[in-house]
Amino acid sequence: MKKRTLQRSLSAFWWLTLVFLYLPLAVVVFFSFNAANSAARFTGFSLRWYERLLGNEQIISAFWNSMVLAIVSSVVALGIGCLIGYGMYRHRHRRLGWLIVLIYLPIVLPDIVFGISEMAFFVSVHRYTGLLQPGLSTMIISHVTFQIPFVALIVYSRLVGLDPTLFEAAKDLYATPLKRAWHFLLPTIKPALISAFFLSFTLSIDDFVISFFTSGPESATLPIYIWGAIKKGVTPEINAIAALMIGAVALVALLSLLFNRQGQR
Amino acid sequence: MVESSRMAARQRGVVGESRHLLLSVSPGVVWIVVFLVLPSLYLMAVAFMTNGAYGLPQMPLTLDAFKQLAGFGFLGWSPGNFYTLLRSLWQTLLATLLVVIVAYPIAYYITTCRVKWRAIMLLLVVVPSWTNQVIRTFGWMNLLAPGTPLSDIAQSLGFIAPNMGLYPSNFAVTLGLVYNFLPFMVLPLYAAFEKLDTAQVQAAQDLYASPLRTFRHAVFPQTLPGLLAGTVLVAIPAFGMYVIPELLGGGKGMMLGNLVANQFAGGSNWPLGAAGAILMLIATFIGLFAMRRVGKRLGGGEEVVI
Repeated sequence: MKKRTLQRSLSAFWWLTLVFLYLPLAVVVFFSFNAANSAARFTGFSLRWYERLLGNEQIISAFWNSMVLAIVSSVVALGIGCLIGYGMYRHRHRRLGWLIVLIYLPIVLPDIVFGISEMAFFVSVHRYTGLLQPGLSTMIISHVTFQIPFVALIVYSRLVGLDPTLFEAAKDLYATPLKRAWHFLLPTIKPALISAFFLSFTLSIDDFVISFFTSGPESATLPIYIWGAIKKGVTPEINAIAALMIGAVALVALLSLLFNRQGQR
Repeated sequence: MVESSRMAARQRGVVGESRHLLLSVSPGVVWIVVFLVLPSLYLMAVAFMTNGAYGLPQMPLTLDAFKQLAGFGFLGWSPGNFYTLLRSLWQTLLATLLVVIVAYPIAYYITTCRVKWRAIMLLLVVVPSWTNQVIRTFGWMNLLAPGTPLSDIAQSLGFIAPNMGLYPSNFAVTLGLVYNFLPFMVLPLYAAFEKLDTAQVQAAQDLYASPLRTFRHAVFPQTLPGLLAGTVLVAIPAFGMYVIPELLGGGKGMMLGNLVANQFAGGSNWPLGAAGAILMLIATFIGLFAMRRVGKRLGGGEEVVI
């Protein structure tokens, strides 16, 4: 009897928490279809904010900046991080404590400290050398920096579960290092590389603070644009972009759920 | 003969190994050193420099920034920064505590559900945090603004003045922090609950322990590693939070992250901002170190992975 009341109250608490988690997102989506200017009253269904979105050049350019930033930084981080992960695996019997600390550094550093130290560094380097002008390139550099550890750790953990004799076998068959990498190593770590790429991409799209401090005046990403619009005074247009971004996340969540289901079978 | 040639081969192998290690690891190491270690060291140096024109750092080296951070300015001591520090500590503590209170039952409840539902339930908890932080916080701005149902209820109960909203306020910041960090506590707690040794719980119940005592002696110690991991994942980023206090806190809800960021974004005083960043780093490392110590004392040989 008592156990059932406990289970029931837990279940009620679960649903309440779900409401808490999804209410802010639902409100944003709901008001993106509002006909009125005000975000406080819903006066009718309309798609006008989505239409306005398509004509807003700043938003379009912010979208492309976000995409270029996420794709370029993920590809670069994939190359560098993959090498580190492989190095960590091949030489894990050696003293690599320093390397682990170095790799964890970007993860444990609070993002605001990360962002401002990059900014201070870029601005100062630019002042003395003219290089590294704040813009898309500096954003890419800082995104690569925080993506490298994740790629390295994912690749490492994929390799570490592998039978070491496989490497010996490849060597014994007189494959050149390049051939070994191409025919054996790459296919082996392919799943790790794919998931590392998607994680890097997500981390990049999700980041606001680090982008905010390393961006230049011409390189606003979507979150930076939204931030600016909120600061200047809310327009319902923001609800529409935000709703689209929420929709993208919902789609990804649904896909990962389907993949999960298939994986379980 | 055979022995010596094998030795030579091994020697060659070791040299080759070193080169191999260097080749594979150096691009990443160089990247992180140049684009993270150097900037961090530079930031630390900035904290000891003088505030020059446009807030840019200048020589000579001083401790002015730290004095300013402690509240000493041209007009003597003012409590502004001190309050900001206290507020950061208080908000971090309060939010972490509330997150624990919500996450514990949720994590437990998920483990009591059928296995095929668990992955979906965890996904449901995590998915909101995949949306950008700015958007999530904007959602709360919409919910807590003047004229919204929540604000109307709060007004009729007398919590806030008429025609005001629930934000900006310290309450809104706490709410935003709890919302933001809940998944970071649920996941490690769930992992701990899933590994829970139910025999201990059973034994406690067989010995007629009250539910509270069962929890204290049989459940809580087993979930402590998860709780510790969650606390680090919540408390450290919460202490340096920038977006949520900036949007939901207003001028009176500032936290250390805002103090630091404003010195850079406003271009007013880099050394002061850098000094605040050092404070944040110290807090981070104290937190990580304390968790390691507590984790080791608990024994169990379980490495808490961040």
